[in-house]
Amino acid sequence: MAKSDEDAAKYVYGVVRSRGGARLKQKGIDDKPVSVVSNKGLGALTSDVPDGSLEAGREELLTHSRVLEGALKRGVVLPMRFGVVMPGEEAVRDELLAAHREELETQLDEMDGKVEINIKGIYEEQGILREVLEENQEIAKLREFLQGKPDDATYYERIRLGELVAEALTAKRADDERLIVDGLLSHALSVEVGEPVHERMAANASFLVERERLDEFDQATEKLGAEHAGRIRFKYTGPLPPHSFVELAVGG
Amino acid sequence: MATSMQQSRGAQPYRGGSGYVARSSSSGLYDVLELILDKGLVIDVFVRVSLIGIEILTIDARIVIASVDTYLRFAEAVNRLDLMATETQGLPELMEGITEGGASSKTKGALQGAKEALFGGDEDEEDEGDRERSTTRRRRSSSGSTTRRRRRTSSGGNSSGSRSGSRSGSRSKSRSGSRSKSRS
Repeated sequence: MAKSDEDAAKYVYGVVRSRGGARLKQKGIDDKPVSVVSNKGLGALTSDVPDGSLEAGREELLTHSRVLEGALKRGVVLPMRFGVVMPGEEAVRDELLAAHREELETQLDEMDGKVEINIKGIYEEQGILREVLEENQEIAKLREFLQGKPDDATYYERIRLGELVAEALTAKRADDERLIVDGLLSHALSVEVGEPVHERMAANASFLVERERLDEFDQATEKLGAEHAGRIRFKYTGPLPPHSFVELAVGG
Repeated sequence: MATSMQQSRGAQPYRGGSGYVARSSSSGLYDVLELILDKGLVIDVFVRVSLIGIEILTIDARIVIASVDTYLRFAEAVNRLDLMATETQGLPELMEGITEGGASSKTKGALQGAKEALFGGDEDEEDEGDRERSTTRRRRSSSGSTTRRRRRTSSGGNSSGSRSGSRSGSRSKSRSGSRSKSRS
């Protein structure tokens, strides 16, 4: 078994409340054990990076996420962004925990009992395109005009059609995003609205939800799903550690 | 609550309630990727892991293209849309009965194609969690606008709302800072 080495570079997963240098059962990146580096009540979940560098891929991302998921089951955790490596235990203690003590403690208190839920609304292509056609005469007419005509003779018309559809979708997205965010925010504490990550995405938002209200939040999501059946499909990811709701001041 | 999380990757539909919402835990990589890479605590004083292919992958994933290619794909999708369900009158394409059977799958293909261009995957959408790191296709130098996020706090309000002002600025700063380091 690899022994945790004080001088080895440390991969840092997140910050928890901690009293002592506990060693967790969980395996970290590269199968290294996850251990807690602590400083006066604050603990950093770390594992050794013997070479000081990592090749970061899918496996490492999943491990990062699983270690945090495990920590979340035990209590409050402030997740680090993926890919943070510090030169050694001392650096973790001094430059992360001690240097940011106040911010970290405040956020541990704030995030206690809360989780992040990520909601993505994805347009059902058939449903949404049909809706666009029904609502937009110009698109419907242009489509009709193009029927049966050869592609190379209608290049610019097709571009125009696609452009109109893209515009219509953009307008729809703005409306639907508002509906979704407003619909769920009343069951959450806070929301971070992200950019859509692909052209069929209606909404991409992370909510900070109190654990006690998770059932209520879930029901609200189901209700939205039912209301938009056939046009928007919902993806619910969580409970997650509050990635979108933590931050350290820069240059601390 | 946490114990009900599912272990399998991707969005294994959790048919609770009315069953309209696909649920997955954080083990669905695709759905947490942007959060893990873009969100969470980070400090400036040290180097981040060299992310081979990963940052490129997320930047890729965030592009919502407004280009001729996209428009042509949209046009094709709309043109091939099967209107049987809503229109019963003799539209020209209904006469071409033979192609009709393939129409809906072709439509799917068009938009699916757009997604594949973005993500480089040939997996089914429900399988997005399996996307490999090898997706190193297009790269976009400036991601300034894509990191823009909007935060709102529900009526109760809390202290996190007041921090939001400085938040986005400092975040993008730290991001670009750490990135340039990781490249050197």
